[in-house]
Amino acid sequence: MREKDTHILKETGTAYRASAGTDIDVLFLEDGLALTAWERIQANDDIMNFGESLRNAMEKRNAKPR
Amino acid sequence: MQNLGELTRRLIAAQVEFVLVGGFAALAHGVMRSTRDIDICCRFSEANLMRIQSALADIHPVHNPRTDLPLKLTPERCANLKNLYLKTDLGIIDCLGEILGVGNYDEVVKHSVELELPIGKCRVIDIDTLIVAKEAMNRDHDRITVRDLKEIKKWQQKSGS
Repeated sequence: MREKDTHILKETGTAYRASAGTDIDVLFLEDGLALTAWERIQANDDIMNFGESLRNAMEKRNAKPR
Repeated sequence: MQNLGELTRRLIAAQVEFVLVGGFAALAHGVMRSTRDIDICCRFSEANLMRIQSALADIHPVHNPRTDLPLKLTPERCANLKNLYLKTDLGIIDCLGEILGVGNYDEVVKHSVELELPIGKCRVIDIDTLIVAKEAMNRDHDRITVRDLKEIKKWQQKSGS
C-alpha cells in the first residue's frame, strides 16, 4: 500500500486507528462484525460454493483440448 | 454443495448435545475467515451419537478421510469412539469428544454461550475459551484466528458488548 493510501485509511477508519501498528485487516474485521452470526455463516457457505464453482470452471477449461 | 448452515440446523433439530468450536465458532464470534467444515464438541454417549447419525442419515454420511466407509454406528462402536470425522453431501463435520487445552464436553459446555439463530438455539464456545483452544492447537491459521479474536475482544470491551 502506498504511504498516501495508508494515511487516508488512518484518517478515515476508526477501526484502523484502533489497531494502528498491527498488520490486522481491521476494515475486514469491522465488515464482519457488522453482520449477525447467521449472516456470517451464510456468507461463508456462499464463498466456499463460489470457490468450488471457480475451481470446477478452471478444471473444465484446462481439460479442453487446445 | 456446501451448506454448513443446514448441517447446523439438522443437529439442532435432532437435539444433539453439542457446542460449536473451531473455525465455525470463530466465524460466529466475528472472524471473517472461510471454513470448509464444522467442528463440534459433543457428548460421546450412545444416545447422542445416534442422534447425530439420525440427523445426517439422508445426506450420505461417510467417515473422513475413509469415504468408502458409510457411517453405521452400533452400541459397540459408540463405546469405543473418542472423535468422529464425517463427510456429508452438505459438508464436513468433525465431532470431538475433547478440546485440547479445555477438556471434555462437560467442561466445554461450561465455557459456552447460547446463540439464537434463525434455525434455533445453539451453543458456541465463548471467545476466551476459543482463544485458549486455538492457542493450544497453535497451527498457522490458529495463530491468525487468535489475533483476530483478540482484536474483536478489544472492540467488544470498548463498546461494552
